[in-house]
Amino acid sequence: MSNAEVLSKLEQIVGKDFASNNQEDLFIYSQDPGVSHPRPVDYVVMPETVEEVQQIVRFANDKKIPIVPMGGGMTLSGLVIPIKGGIVLDMKRMDKIIEINETSRYALIEAGVTSGKLIAHLREKYPDLQAPYPDAPPSITIAGNALIHGSGYLSQKYGDHGAMINSLEVVLPNGEVCKVGSCAISNYWFTRGPIPDLVGLFTSAFGTMGIVTKISIKLFPKPKLRDIVIGLIKELNTIPGLILNLTKTDIPEDLMIALAEKPDFMKGYAILLLYITGDSQDELDSKTKILKKIYRKNKARFMKLPPRYYDVFLEQPQFAAKAADFRKGGGFEYVGSFMPLGKIPEAIEKARDISLKYGIVPTQVSRIIGRGHNVMFAASYSFNRADPEDMERARNALHETNKMVLELGGIPWKAERDGQKLIIEKMDPNYKMLFKTIRNILDPNGIMNPGNWEV
Amino acid sequence: MTINVKQDWKDIVHRCFRCGYCKFTFEYSDFNCPSYKKHRFETYSTGGRMWLIYGIINGDLQWSQNLANVLYSCSTCGNCMENCRFDKFNDFLVDIIEAARAEAVKNGFCPEKQKALLERTTNTEMFNPYGEPNSDNEELKKKYNLPDKAEWVYFIGCTSNYRQKNLRDATLRFLKKINLDFTLIDEHCCTSPIIRTGQIEPVKEFMNYNIDKIKEVGATKVITSCAGCCRTLKVDFAKQGVNHDLEIYHTSELVKRFLDEGKIMFTSEFNKTVTYHDPCHIGRHMGLYEEPRDVYKQIPGIKFVEMGRNRENAWCCGAGGGVKIGYPDWAVEISKERLEEAKETGATILSSTCPFCRTNLSDANDKFNLGLEVIDLIEILDQLEIKVNE
Repeated sequence: MSNAEVLSKLEQIVGKDFASNNQEDLFIYSQDPGVSHPRPVDYVVMPETVEEVQQIVRFANDKKIPIVPMGGGMTLSGLVIPIKGGIVLDMKRMDKIIEINETSRYALIEAGVTSGKLIAHLREKYPDLQAPYPDAPPSITIAGNALIHGSGYLSQKYGDHGAMINSLEVVLPNGEVCKVGSCAISNYWFTRGPIPDLVGLFTSAFGTMGIVTKISIKLFPKPKLRDIVIGLIKELNTIPGLILNLTKTDIPEDLMIALAEKPDFMKGYAILLLYITGDSQDELDSKTKILKKIYRKNKARFMKLPPRYYDVFLEQPQFAAKAADFRKGGGFEYVGSFMPLGKIPEAIEKARDISLKYGIVPTQVSRIIGRGHNVMFAASYSFNRADPEDMERARNALHETNKMVLELGGIPWKAERDGQKLIIEKMDPNYKMLFKTIRNILDPNGIMNPGNWEV
Repeated sequence: MTINVKQDWKDIVHRCFRCGYCKFTFEYSDFNCPSYKKHRFETYSTGGRMWLIYGIINGDLQWSQNLANVLYSCSTCGNCMENCRFDKFNDFLVDIIEAARAEAVKNGFCPEKQKALLERTTNTEMFNPYGEPNSDNEELKKKYNLPDKAEWVYFIGCTSNYRQKNLRDATLRFLKKINLDFTLIDEHCCTSPIIRTGQIEPVKEFMNYNIDKIKEVGATKVITSCAGCCRTLKVDFAKQGVNHDLEIYHTSELVKRFLDEGKIMFTSEFNKTVTYHDPCHIGRHMGLYEEPRDVYKQIPGIKFVEMGRNRENAWCCGAGGGVKIGYPDWAVEISKERLEEAKETGATILSSTCPFCRTNLSDANDKFNLGLEVIDLIEILDQLEIKVNE
């Protein structure tokens, strides 16, 4: 089948305006803002309905054309850049908020709903509810974030965002629509069980198992007030104990440890960013008092910042993309990882060494997930997009960090292809066999984001 | 291949991270970029355009008509500049797009409709983008009994002079009513449409001509009823290196000043509900948000209401940047969204301070039968009785 015929078929499905193989569209979708090399894309398609997704998948399966689903395209690790060409399925036209269930506290939304859209919708119509979303631009999708085991708001208290998925609607590689979670049984998309939990098949699978078209995500009560209680940590080895003592209290809504050697006053310190919430100032004050005492007992100290910093730290979502402007070069990528709390001090030291080795200002963040059950540890590497050598340095630093993470017992998160290979090398053989078996059954033609998770 | 001002822009174009803040309104409730909202491919976001332009600069992409069309489907409204979070980069987003358009022109990829606009403007019988015979404005001078020499020049602008004559005439009547010492010149296009579409070759000649004509009548001050002319005279002349010492006022600025100084006072009522559409050219491009609002609010009897998206956050009418001429059907669709937003306020009048906005909003109002009255601020003022304190 010629390219023109494929395009014509895709146009028949989604309409002429939403299927393209123009060089400029392919150029944009052949790269992401991270440090991955561009890779060729053959078609970009934007479906609007689940039926259109089904038709595209059936057609692609018939013609054995790879499909790569894309949400906000902000993983930075090249997960939505096809490895073997084919169709990029940009999901952002599927952007309906279908239901906000106030009683069971969930949002049922289409896969292309951005965090910006859900945040604005809740603020306007449901001010007592809040959604989990990452420290990422408002253009990211809620589904994309949850499906890569994202983390961010509310993760300290309630876990990673993948754990907040109640139910999914998925178009399987054969084009059939499958519902997983409670929506497979009930009209309420309120929980994953109590049936065999197949939601996990589609999380961190990077589109290799199917294309998620709807998601139900947990919502949480939103207290009236939110503040930040900043701590200064001098001795890195005190971090695990401090975190355990803080999370014993049930006070922190979110909890992060940031290290950056710029600006200069941050050098040599870890900054504890602890978010508290409450319904009155008295409540916040009394929580702050308790936290200050814990800081002191654990060799940390409370720090007050000028008001402008509070505005920065309390913005929702936080402007984390600022890191891309550190070098005035439009690029940054980070190795995010899931890391055991006890290994955080070592990870910080080793990531710092890697940064310095590659001439990059050390910048790391550790986000506490679920009271310390897990930590999302990230080492960030800014680069100048216009400087190929700088990009190569960042690539090497990322790869080395991936290795370091695995050596410490952590696991690289939303890993790019090379990172996936490192993970697979350490993977239990029977896990690999199970994964491969399931994948081959679901996708015998290997059309779903091929090149990823090649076990 | 290099873009026209490669040396100026090559060090900053790649600063775009494509994070997407530029696509959203302040509170993220909607997309603010008309072309992204229509096309939805990332290509049509400002970030997409920045990456395409960088692709051209570094040789990864070659010019094509499709690529030029992506650049030309930006209404240059500047919403992206308000929402891009990278300081000292966000100020230049529209400039970069216009510079890239200039390079498209040099490489022979200016779309045909926009090209025709230049041909008409440089036609010595016309000197306007509408293809109308040039008016030297002598008849108007006679009709309104205007002097040959004056302190002020009313620079009518092509849209008011050839398409929105009601607005022009209302302005002339108003200026007479307030006893402003003004006259008209044999003006040529201010060059806004050709700058916005990257056709910059004849721009300086037009600018110098208009300055000479203004100075010939002894004027030191210029008043415009067109947001596009105002921006061009005040901002683009300097950008093009054409400096002048003229004071440039938009009508809303002049009226506000006269009200503040007590020179004029509105003495009759206008008992209607009005909402205001911020023209991009005097709003985001020049920061004139409060001046027109202050004038509306001083009109006795008026009920002034705001649309959800206003000031820096205002949705573009869709006429600017060559979109009206290049994509006329889509341009009115963009306006339709604005009119619907206006209706939600309960207003019966959607008012603006730009003849180009007025044209496009009116076209959409008629096409989609939306039932609003679309008029310029000056047309409202023209209906009022005004006491002039000498």
